[in-house]
Amino acid sequence: MPVIELSHISKRFGKFVAVNDLSFSVEQGEFFGFIGPNGAGKSTTMNMMLNFIKRSGGEISLLGKSVPQHDLDVKKRIGYVPSDVRFYPQLRVQDLIRYTLDFHHMEGDQAEIDRYFELFQIDRKKKFGDLSLGNKKKVALVCALIHHPELIIMDEPTNGLDPLMHARLFRVLKEKQEQGATIFLSSHNLKEVEDYCSKVAFIRSGQLVGVEDLSQVNKKTKIVTLKGSKLPLDEMKAIGATCTKKEEHEARFLYEGGLPQLFSTLSNLSTDLEDVTVANRDLEEQFMSMYERQEGERL
Amino acid sequence: MTLFRLECRTHIKTLVIWIVVVGVLTLGLVSLFPAMKDMGLQQMDLKSMPKDMLKAFNLSDMAALATIKGYFGYEYQYIVIATGIFAAMLGTNALAREEAEGTIGYLYAQPITRLSIVGSKMLANSLLYTVYWAVSMAIAFLGCILFKESGASVHGLFKSFAQLAFSGWVMGLTFLVFGFLLSSFLSTNKSATSLSLGVVFLTFILGVVGKMNDDFQALVFFSPVDTALPSTVFKNGIEWNYIVTDLIVIMVSCLLTFWIYKRKDLKV
Repeated sequence: MPVIELSHISKRFGKFVAVNDLSFSVEQGEFFGFIGPNGAGKSTTMNMMLNFIKRSGGEISLLGKSVPQHDLDVKKRIGYVPSDVRFYPQLRVQDLIRYTLDFHHMEGDQAEIDRYFELFQIDRKKKFGDLSLGNKKKVALVCALIHHPELIIMDEPTNGLDPLMHARLFRVLKEKQEQGATIFLSSHNLKEVEDYCSKVAFIRSGQLVGVEDLSQVNKKTKIVTLKGSKLPLDEMKAIGATCTKKEEHEARFLYEGGLPQLFSTLSNLSTDLEDVTVANRDLEEQFMSMYERQEGERL
Repeated sequence: MTLFRLECRTHIKTLVIWIVVVGVLTLGLVSLFPAMKDMGLQQMDLKSMPKDMLKAFNLSDMAALATIKGYFGYEYQYIVIATGIFAAMLGTNALAREEAEGTIGYLYAQPITRLSIVGSKMLANSLLYTVYWAVSMAIAFLGCILFKESGASVHGLFKSFAQLAFSGWVMGLTFLVFGFLLSSFLSTNKSATSLSLGVVFLTFILGVVGKMNDDFQALVFFSPVDTALPSTVFKNGIEWNYIVTDLIVIMVSCLLTFWIYKRKDLKV
């Protein structure tokens, strides 16, 4: 059973359609990325999932229960990190953690709390309002993790974090995933999505562009870049490569066939190429080609 | 219960400040009574002033100013108006502040329903208001005992204060809950203070108009301050028709607040 199931959800603000007929699902234990340009509808989608805002249409189910009907049951099992962390500024960090546990009717494991404070180097005595952006984010992460949620929803969690804390955060998240938690990560940082997520949903203008299984696609698809005065477009097409970019002395192809066949084709060319680059298709390239393709279809 | 505690903690400083300011002001006013009495203020001739105007400012009986009840009843009406403003501000800020300061993002991510948010906040702010009013009344009562004229009955004073305490409590709750209703519409608390002032003064003026013109007498029912006007309560006891009106406003505002807040899009 999917942990997150969005079925044809939409959200309108007056005449403006922020999310339109969006559907996708996330399976238990997945590390799922959710990406899109600014204003694509990512935060609106998450706000609907968390019932901050009412949807205009469609169905949302989290952890097998429909939202908002089972809002309370669902939130007991969810951890949420907002992109803009604005907690009670007058409260000390340790009090915020205490209140979070109280909301969940949990005593909390002091050793675990201490571990998080140490791991993320948080001064528990400081007032939340006196913390830097990065430290506020760390407190939000601890608040989201401390009650052992089955589903962790994060909106730009690494904004303001230094590389060391970034690595520690993902180490903790990987641990949680290994323990069975599902992680839903919205991020602008394509590198971190590529490094940690197994699946990713692309959204643009409130609509789903596609859902890709990164573990499969990235390994299978290569990007071949050729430079030279005479580019072998027909030969590449003959072995199944798709040209994605063509300039006067450079062409780029997506290629899913075997490497021996590619190298054999290139070595048998009558003219010499100046440069050949073969690389795994990264998320950024995938992201760009998806959006360019959609833009092309629209035009 | 957690949000109830959090809300009380958040407002504890405001509560202390209001108690101290109102307490000092009350004691200051009451301590002037012996001097005012000796000045013969009660013998001032107000016959040249329009009757309606005197009624509007609750000044119709100058002779009463020679007693602590009469003097306090007149002076304390301004503290009652300030109390209404305090209660309205508590209510108007309660829900809107969470959205304006962004703390709703933390709060509503916790396992808590919207109805619990409104309920906990209403209970916490009602308690804060009750504490404020109880302490203010206790200070005022002690002040009156301390500076009363010789021969004034402590028992009579206590009975009048008990009636005022009850009426003022209902008046404050009316402004508080009506403030909650306004708060459920707002997504920022920038206008909360001006709205609170506006509501209290507007309703007070409606009451004044109602008292000045018999044709508009019904307007007094729109003025919660008139429920707890000390001079009237000391003279006539608890005005039950006003109390019932306030309770109806409380109930309707309460239900509307829950209904609206459950359906609104929260600004995160």
